[in-house]
Amino acid sequence: MPIHEKSLLDPNKVLTAEKLVIDGVDVSGHWNTMILPRTVADYDPDFQKTIRALPGGENVHRCWQCGSCTNSCTMYAINTDFNPRYWIYCTNLGLQSEIVKDKDIIWQCVSCNKCTNICPKDVRPEGVMKALAHWLEMEGHTPKSRSSMFDEEFTRQCIERGRIEDSEVMFKFFKASGEDVKALLTGGWLRVFIERMNNLPLLKAGRIGAFLARLPITGPLKMGWMMLFKPRTRSWARTGAVLAAYVEEQKRKAHAHG
Amino acid sequence: MNDTILVVGGGPTGLAAAHGAASVGRKVVLVEKADRLGGAPILSGYAKLVPSGEWAKDAIGRMIARVESNPLATVHKSTRVTALEGGPGNFSATLSNGQQVQAGAVILGTGFTHFDSINKPEWGFGTYEDVVTTTQVEQMVGAGRIACPSDGRTPERVAILLCVGSRDRQIGREWCSKICCTVSTNLAIEIKELSPKTDVFIYYMDIRTFGLYEDKFYWTSQEEFGTKFVKARIAEVTIAPDGKRLLVKGEDTLVKRPIVIPFDLVVHAIGMDPNEDNPEIAKVFGVGLEKHGFLDRGEHYTSSFSSTRPGVYVGGAALAPEDIDTCVSHGLAMAMRAVGDLAALARKAA
Ligand SMILES: Cc1cc2nc3c(=O)[nH]c(=O)nc-3n(C[C@H](O)[C@H](O)[C@H](O)COP(=O)(O)OP(=O)(O)OC[C@H]3O[C@@H](n4cnc5c(N)ncnc54)[C@H](O)[C@@H]3O)c2cc1C
Ligand code: SF4
Ligand code: SF4
Ligand code: SF4
Repeated sequence: MPIHEKSLLDPNKVLTAEKLVIDGVDVSGHWNTMILPRTVADYDPDFQKTIRALPGGENVHRCWQCGSCTNSCTMYAINTDFNPRYWIYCTNLGLQSEIVKDKDIIWQCVSCNKCTNICPKDVRPEGVMKALAHWLEMEGHTPKSRSSMFDEEFTRQCIERGRIEDSEVMFKFFKASGEDVKALLTGGWLRVFIERMNNLPLLKAGRIGAFLARLPITGPLKMGWMMLFKPRTRSWARTGAVLAAYVEEQKRKAHAHG
Repeated sequence: MNDTILVVGGGPTGLAAAHGAASVGRKVVLVEKADRLGGAPILSGYAKLVPSGEWAKDAIGRMIARVESNPLATVHKSTRVTALEGGPGNFSATLSNGQQVQAGAVILGTGFTHFDSINKPEWGFGTYEDVVTTTQVEQMVGAGRIACPSDGRTPERVAILLCVGSRDRQIGREWCSKICCTVSTNLAIEIKELSPKTDVFIYYMDIRTFGLYEDKFYWTSQEEFGTKFVKARIAEVTIAPDGKRLLVKGEDTLVKRPIVIPFDLVVHAIGMDPNEDNPEIAKVFGVGLEKHGFLDRGEHYTSSFSSTRPGVYVGGAALAPEDIDTCVSHGLAMAMRAVGDLAALARKAA
């Protein structure tokens, strides 16, 4: 059956059955469409705690829905579905499904912090956006973001060795994020980066001596050596263990909240 | 000429007026219809007052003791004024106990009446035991335990509905009761203090915690005690299929969707109605009523707290919904007016 004003309905609330039998009566065809009610039937009071336990979400409970954040928001100006005020409200009442519904836009926050600068209750909406994006990722609603992949490798090295190896971080990050390193080297930003580090115009001008004199040699050599031997900060083992235990504990706490 | 001051009503307003007049040496006669002094905070057993945080029985108790122990004050309880004759400087009042009182001025501190939630049947009061009013929760807080009246269980979730009996053309109440937002945010704090596991939700159209009550009550309630604020005016309160919890139905205007949320206890933040005696008071004292049914007042800037009858002053919640602090100031100001006007009369006569 046709629905008038379909635009007013949430598409996933409209069910259309090929064949439908109700109380033994076949209603296929004519009465095959159902609209699920949009009623909010409960709150999840723990959701606010979960988000408050994530970095950036600490002040979400302060919001009084004035809308200043949304009004000032860079993203809202482009897409009126991007509404930090609304997500903050849903967070406070525990309407998780509403947040999940917008999982494909929440991460688009550009961290311009206009919202945080204008918010009269110091909610720091920009932080809340981060916390929500983080939560969506943690729960598997959105794929792991590139920045999370980077952070993971960075943290792993810190805890293991008390220091990081830049090239190894980059290498592992590229691998995890499925980056095509070859394409980067031949046409991407990595090529531009290498060109700038090396004074290519000198080479083109045939001044090979001057070019070689500027060629970074010891740096890359050292990098290669480090990648092979992975040195640790001295007597790091114990510190690393303590740090790892602390991180675990914090994670557990955040989880217990939720 | 008589310079005794007749004060009618022994609530915060009347008590402040009586003390004020006695403090400058005037004789005072205080007439109170109830069997106790103290007005609403005492008669309805309020818990801790906003903004002082003092227990009502202590704070108002001091006001009562100060008047009752004053040799210049005569107190008539369980008494009303049935007739008032005369004018400024020579009023003659007849009391329901048969006594006559001669006075130079009359101060009305006859206060308000709590809105009776029975007049909003769709919100479940009188139908479901676990729908209560803010005065009942005040009494629970006073007794030190928050419980559902139906079976004595501690509520997991409480909904406070604001503006019950206020701001509602449906029932002819076109005023804001001024204090219920502050009282409700404070009650949410007190509920949380007594029962930390209970979640409190406040359903509002606006939050009007005026002046310094903004951060002290609203912000504190939200930020430190986790009170949740939902922008919705509730349509209906019904009972859940389990026959136990209540269902609060309405539209959440911010998610633009209907809500049907289960609660253990639903609290009506009842408003302040004009004193139900006002029609009678208007007749007995010969004063006018304003359009909502509160006592009418004269020009305020240079004839503060005058009623529509010379020599009769009116203040406190008899004029409009007011908080106690304001009522105390009104009481003192009326004493000043009465004493000052009588002094002027005396000078003129001399
Ligand atoms: C639930 C609730 C909680 C509140 N909590 C607070 C709070 O925490 N802090 C705050 O500032 N305010 C609070 N208020 C407001 C407070 O109750 C009023 O501001 C205050 O009681 C008004 O004082 P009043 O003396 O003018 O009137 P009332 O307190 O109403 O006193 C009037 C007195 O006059 C008597 N009287 C009435 N008619 C007659 C008559 N015809 N003859 C003789 N006597 C008569 C009455 O018996 C009564 O004793 C609250 C109000 C409500 C509804
Ligand atoms: S930080 Fe994000 S949410 Fe805040 S104004 Fe900028 S884009 Fe909008
Ligand atoms: S500006 Fe702040 S208080 Fe206002 S809606 Fe946004 S987060 Fe809430
Ligand atoms: S003070 Fe608040 S609850 Fe009371 S009538 Fe006004 S807006 Fe409504």
